[in-house]
Amino acid sequence: MGSAGTAVEEDTEADIASGVADPWVTIVWNDPVNLMSYVTYVFESYFGYPRVKAERLMTQVHKDGRAVVSSGGRERMEVDVQAMHGFGLWATLQESGARGAA
Amino acid sequence: MTPFRAMRRGYEARFEPVERVVLARVARDVAEMLRDEAGLDLFADGDDPGPSTHPGPGKGQAWANGLLAPDELTDADLARLTGVTGVGRIPTDPAARRLLPDASKDDTDIADEFRRLTQNDVAQAKVERLEAFAALLDLPSGEDAPSPLGRHGAPPPVRVPREEAEQFAGALTDVRLVIAERLGLKTDDQVMQLTDEIMWDRQAGREIPVATDGRAARRFWSGVFVAAGYAQETLMDVMLAELRGRRPSGPATSSL
Repeated sequence: MGSAGTAVEEDTEADIASGVADPWVTIVWNDPVNLMSYVTYVFESYFGYPRVKAERLMTQVHKDGRAVVSSGGRERMEVDVQAMHGFGLWATLQESGARGAA
Repeated sequence: MTPFRAMRRGYEARFEPVERVVLARVARDVAEMLRDEAGLDLFADGDDPGPSTHPGPGKGQAWANGLLAPDELTDADLARLTGVTGVGRIPTDPAARRLLPDASKDDTDIADEFRRLTQNDVAQAKVERLEAFAALLDLPSGEDAPSPLGRHGAPPPVRVPREEAEQFAGALTDVRLVIAERLGLKTDDQVMQLTDEIMWDRQAGREIPVATDGRAARRFWSGVFVAAGYAQETLMDVMLAELRGRRPSGPATSSL
């Protein structure tokens, strides 16, 4: 996927993948109902992600069935998951080292 | 229904009166369902405390200090006595479970704890915004209200104030999620196919049938699902454009 993310974002995501930087992650799962534009809007407005990153994560959810959208401590992830449920997206949290987190 | 457009006082679209009535109705139904499924009425406080369903000290007599025998405690009693409102009962209705989903796919401890901590708040917020959504769609009524058809025979536009737009879009999402669950829409392909069918019917000028049987009812709710999706899609277009337009790209953002 032609990512145009900044170097900082790439580092962060590499850390998520290896489970080094943050102990927990928030995962958003694909569903057939939520509109791509709405999911993108949520990623931009709630997380404050730039358009390119928001669209990349949305595409990942849509094509791969899920994407890691944030990472951090467990309590922080609970806040994010709760917000996603509020928006009507299906989100889960898990330890970043767990299988399927990256 | 016309697409939402960004206007000075909010986002505006013209809905057919029947679209307003039906969407308001289904939003209130979803709110009611959520209330029941999440058990919100058990924990209502403030102006509507909700009478205890417990018959009062009776056969077993109250225990010391007014405590009830454990087997006589209802959820409402428990909430009143302990102040714990986060019982987090798992919804049985699949549509409610979609609106209040598990926060973990394979760890029930995580999912249960999350439900206990957050479910009431999430459900309550959804109920409130569904009711606000319905109120915004309600046709003007009462003595000094203008005719529903407006001065020139056209219905007045639905105007969504900017500060309420995210809530409005969220309510549209919940309505669509519930209708999709009821219709058994499980895949992207099913949703696309259904949307094509409805759009095709519409272009061919076929009216939405009155829901007199199962098939007509399905067709009716499919039409509502697609209409709600159209409203949300066009609302997202204008909201995203403004969100991106006003995102600070430099130090000066005072022109807002």
